[in-house]
Amino acid sequence: MKTLPPLAAHILLFLVVFFSAPGVSGAEKRIGVIMSGDIPYYGAMHEAFVAELSKQVPGFDEMEIILQRPFPDSISWSNAARKLIAVDVDLIVTYGLPATRAVINEKTRIPLVYTGVYDPETAAISGRNVTGCGYKVPLSSLLRYFKRLKELDTISIVYSGIEEDSLQQLGELQMLAAMQNIKTRRIDIRTRGDVDLLGGIAEDAVFVTGSSLAHLWIDEILTMARRKKNPVADIFPDQAEAGILMTLYQPPHEQGEMAAQIASRVLAGEDPQTIPFYVFRDTELVFNLVEARHIGLTFPIQLIIEATRVIQ
Amino acid sequence: MKRMRVSAIQRFLVLAACLLAACLVLPAGNGGAAEQPDELLLGIEPEHNIFDQMERYRILAAYLSDQLGVQVKLTIMSRYGEVIKRFKSLRLDGAFLTSYTAHLGIKELKLEPLVNPVNLNGESTSQGLIFVRQDSGIRDVADMRGKGIVFVDPATMEGYLYPLAYLHQHGVIDTNMFFSRFYFSGSHASTIFAVLDGRADIGAAKNTVFNKLVQSDPSISQELHVLARSPKVPEVTLCVRQEVDETIRERLTAVLLDMDATVEGRKVLARFEALRFIQSNKSDFDIIEQTAQEAWASIAEHGSD
Repeated sequence: MKTLPPLAAHILLFLVVFFSAPGVSGAEKRIGVIMSGDIPYYGAMHEAFVAELSKQVPGFDEMEIILQRPFPDSISWSNAARKLIAVDVDLIVTYGLPATRAVINEKTRIPLVYTGVYDPETAAISGRNVTGCGYKVPLSSLLRYFKRLKELDTISIVYSGIEEDSLQQLGELQMLAAMQNIKTRRIDIRTRGDVDLLGGIAEDAVFVTGSSLAHLWIDEILTMARRKKNPVADIFPDQAEAGILMTLYQPPHEQGEMAAQIASRVLAGEDPQTIPFYVFRDTELVFNLVEARHIGLTFPIQLIIEATRVIQ
Repeated sequence: MKRMRVSAIQRFLVLAACLLAACLVLPAGNGGAAEQPDELLLGIEPEHNIFDQMERYRILAAYLSDQLGVQVKLTIMSRYGEVIKRFKSLRLDGAFLTSYTAHLGIKELKLEPLVNPVNLNGESTSQGLIFVRQDSGIRDVADMRGKGIVFVDPATMEGYLYPLAYLHQHGVIDTNMFFSRFYFSGSHASTIFAVLDGRADIGAAKNTVFNKLVQSDPSISQELHVLARSPKVPEVTLCVRQEVDETIRERLTAVLLDMDATVEGRKVLARFEALRFIQSNKSDFDIIEQTAQEAWASIAEHGSD
């Protein structure tokens, strides 16, 4: 029996391996993930991310996902980014703008896929190895629905001064409120104690920005608002149905899935710069009629019919 | 149709219409003279705020009852598309119909168009608008590919047939394939709110409702961008069956046309939210036939709706 010469055998072996290999394999790949805060919105996004990635990447079971859920502050975000860079992951995925900025600031060569970023166009995220997706929610709609529900003279805006996306939403809402002669009160949440500031303010409604810090203490914020019988609106879903009167949010699973699709392309060797970022603009509108009863508000039928979902 | 859903508003309108139909087929005035025909039963198509609408029409019916000496009763039809069926099942004498249903009634039931109300902005017509959010990046039909669109109801000219014809003219043969999803909101106002909220990327609704919402909240005009406008069509037309006694038809027309000439008539008009009534014409509906033909051709090309 004739045998192939050693060089030909090596070439043949190389060709067999090369052409039979899938575009991307999860084997021995490591993905580092950083959430801007350990909150349900990013949790739901991450679940969808992992589920979609398992479909996209052959050998997913051999892939390692290192999940970082730092406390929402600048030092913790930076530390989380540095840890992932130190272990030399193949790809970093971030949820929310603060974690995204923290990774970009480290000037790493590791590709970055971001998701859960509010208005990426305005945030102007840039970097050599950076791409991803985000969302935009029309805050004006929440003001509009509030006004159809009750007289609105003053609205308190709960935000976090250390979170850029939260600050952007604060600015947007202040501008929209001013256009409609609605006064605004700013509640900057840095510590748990800042939630108590809500108690000393007379307002007609409370708006919670997409801040990780604010959502760490969302139950306390709701308790405070309920005590004053004030309705609360949020741009993150109230997954626990804790008592947010109206939520207008971008479904997190869509962003998680798209992040996974982008991640699989990057892992397969595509240059992130050639993958354009995407902004989700579709929303779900949820009214909580149970909470409305608690605070003595009645939703007119013309308002209820606008909702995608009603909690009752 | 793909991923079509019956919205909450449609369920609400059906329920509300049934309740109103049951309890509002009531004498609207103080009764007519004994020698006159017993009564006139007029139908109304439901609007976004059905209760306010009923109140406005009740005031008008009371006035007509007084002026004609014939009891004018009202009944609300359950939804846009059921006009023809309801005309038969409810034995209506006439109805205040929006443009496409009026066109259908004239064509299929040989209804006679009598008058159109002129709204407080001095308009008796409406236009279909196709609009998007300003920040959507959608500026033409090509940009709409893969997006979500919301219509009003299959039996509306401004909220369905016009956008369908427009899309067809711009090369969209199969809306099922072209859009990622589409649905019917059940009302013009709900369609506008759906686009404002981002629940749909593109919407089609009539300009009179759009303008009314903008008047109450000017920020709406800054947030929405109108991409296209249909030709003007009669917004609401009072149409009656040919079997209705000719004298009654003539008197009904005369009373409505003369309303703005009397103090009492003007008071009723104000509460009805109109300036006056004007004479209607069958030729006003020609443009609707053309649009409907184009829209239905589009549906025929991509399959049954």
